[in-house]
Amino acid sequence: MKKSVFLILCCLILSLSYSQDNKEKKYPVLPSVEIKTIDGKAFDTKEIKNDGNPMIISLWATTCRPCIQELKAISDVYDDWIEETGVKLYAISVDDSKTASRVAPFVNGAAWDYVVLQDVNSDFKRAMNVVDIPFLCILNGNGEIVWQHTSYAPGGENEVYEELLKWKKK
Amino acid sequence: MRYLELFLQTFFISIILFCASNSFSQTKIGSGQISGNFMFDGMFYMPDSVIGAAETDDKVRANTYLNLLYTNGGFSAGLRYEFYLYPLVDFEKIGYKGQGITNFFGEYKNDYIEVTAGTFYEQFGNGFALRAYEERTLGIDNSLLGVKIHAKPYNGIHLKGVWGIERKNFDFDYLSRRDFVRGLDAEINFGEMISAMGEKGFTAAIGGSFVSKYEKADDPVLKLPANVALWAARLQFGFKGFRIEAEYAGKINDPNYTNGYIYKNGVAFLATASYSMKGLGVSASFVRTDNMDFRSQRDIISSTNLLSINNIPVITKTYSYKLLGDYGYSTQPNGQIGVQAQVNYKIPKKTKIGGKYGTDISIAYSRMHDIERKWGEPSDSTGSYKGTDGYKSGFFKFGKNLLYQDIGIEISRKFTQRWRLELAYNYITYNLELLQGHTGEPVVHAHNVAADLLCNINTKHALRLELQHLYTKQDCGSSLYAMLEYSIAPHWFFSVGDEWNYGNPEKGHRTHFFNVAASYVIKTTRISLNYGKTKDGMLCIGGVCREVPAAYGVGLSVTTSF
Repeated sequence: MKKSVFLILCCLILSLSYSQDNKEKKYPVLPSVEIKTIDGKAFDTKEIKNDGNPMIISLWATTCRPCIQELKAISDVYDDWIEETGVKLYAISVDDSKTASRVAPFVNGAAWDYVVLQDVNSDFKRAMNVVDIPFLCILNGNGEIVWQHTSYAPGGENEVYEELLKWKKK
Repeated sequence: MRYLELFLQTFFISIILFCASNSFSQTKIGSGQISGNFMFDGMFYMPDSVIGAAETDDKVRANTYLNLLYTNGGFSAGLRYEFYLYPLVDFEKIGYKGQGITNFFGEYKNDYIEVTAGTFYEQFGNGFALRAYEERTLGIDNSLLGVKIHAKPYNGIHLKGVWGIERKNFDFDYLSRRDFVRGLDAEINFGEMISAMGEKGFTAAIGGSFVSKYEKADDPVLKLPANVALWAARLQFGFKGFRIEAEYAGKINDPNYTNGYIYKNGVAFLATASYSMKGLGVSASFVRTDNMDFRSQRDIISSTNLLSINNIPVITKTYSYKLLGDYGYSTQPNGQIGVQAQVNYKIPKKTKIGGKYGTDISIAYSRMHDIERKWGEPSDSTGSYKGTDGYKSGFFKFGKNLLYQDIGIEISRKFTQRWRLELAYNYITYNLELLQGHTGEPVVHAHNVAADLLCNINTKHALRLELQHLYTKQDCGSSLYAMLEYSIAPHWFFSVGDEWNYGNPEKGHRTHFFNVAASYVIKTTRISLNYGKTKDGMLCIGGVCREVPAAYGVGLSVTTSF
């Protein structure tokens, strides 16, 4: 049984690696998943748009300290980033029902200027194949995922900024 | 020889899965795309009699999985392969052991309907009635195998229907299962429906769920119900920064192992009110649950959420401080009543007290009690209540036993571009006997002080120091913890840490639990290596806890998504 599973898997891998065609660099598009706005309204992630300007999506939780450190660090320089690149940051919380009701008071308390959304049962996190948070990705003006990163080290926001400059609306 | 064989096998599978993840990366089939993720978490165990790390049968153990997802417009399909044949000891302890394709599904969605066939996750409301979810780090996967439909016939109207058989670790013998779950949920969101409402700052929604579990009943003595129903109603109302949410649920006769086979009805209620404006957030919650453990199989004996259909969220604040890990509150669906209140405030920047960057303050209070129970007549001479209605309990009555209390304050301040400091103090009361089942153990009163100091040496290099002191006279006594982390953004992390249980009443157990770790991150791939000792205790995530045995060894973990 086990062996056959492996054989199937191996065949799948081989067939797929042969069919791989990377001649034209095409970026993956953001999956469409229904999540919620901070006041409980349905929000489809395909609505994540910014008039052709780049966007940042950050997956975070009120219980994840490095996530909050990262969002705080970006918050300090966010006004400059907007001025330079026209970026818009979507902070998508993966807090489950235990802490979901505390997300709104938390972000207001922290005085962040981000668009905050809630992914209460991790549906968007799963669709994005995210294993661990903090997870951050940059979308170009067409909503394609052009850069992704997981974990946060102080100063990591500088790399995000450098990457962001590449996707500035021309 | 056996170790070598095991090691090679695990290693081989991991390599295959890892290569698979690389070859799938950005693969296009037609106009669709393939993505996924991969995790390998392995450890080489060494025995240590002082900390109680026993010699394990297999010294090399690992948890490995690969997820693949194919999307093409409105269509998507996915599968997950899990290899947990020789899992980490804590996973083996809860029975999360085996291998196979654990998830597979196909899904189609457009603006009005979403249909999923195969393995799926879902949550109704707060999860009182149904929550099929996963918490991979705890070995919880309550996915359902069946069909899910989500319809949106009109703006603001959401209808959901599910039918499925719940996952039971690696038991794939679905044909012999005698239980399944079905459920309906409807929600009307007035804010979405009437856009004028939203413009004035109003939000309002109401919803209701009905979930029924079927399990064949053939007990020779008890007249067991084959169908058990649970219903829930919820509402949410908001105006500008003010918001109120509530959910009430009832369960009809569900004699099961966790409640001692009584026929009493179950009740759960949760209400949260909050107010927030820029720089200030205030919230208060009340929860009561009584006989609400709801599982696919009534006879299941499990220390985790195995086969749980619903999930009652905890309302207490969760902390990520190392030494508080053992005293995290875990939800008690069969009996808990309590309150929680929290204030978050940002002292504005560029003020005398707030400093140049402002200062964040958070104050939280939680108190959880057991519910009051007035027992009726036992059903037999041994004092068992099996087959009776059990007890009566007043709705707003707090039981005598305090389960958990937390008074906490956290302050975080950035002083300059270079320095940031976070300070926290908590006073925790934790009922070891009722929350962890350690009969006769006294209630723990613990004071915990934590400091987290960050120094940004320059734009890439940073040093972080975490210091913690937990003071208690009960349980294992006081402990000290120190951890120094050096990071080079965005790739490298190095850390050394030590937890010293200096106050253990038994002198021989005043042990050091040291840990050395290094990790490398590139984009979405993370590789980390660590060496050290882990204390036995509780690992709590999202109000669900699991006992973790003591361990000593070298760990390697690789995660990636593509």
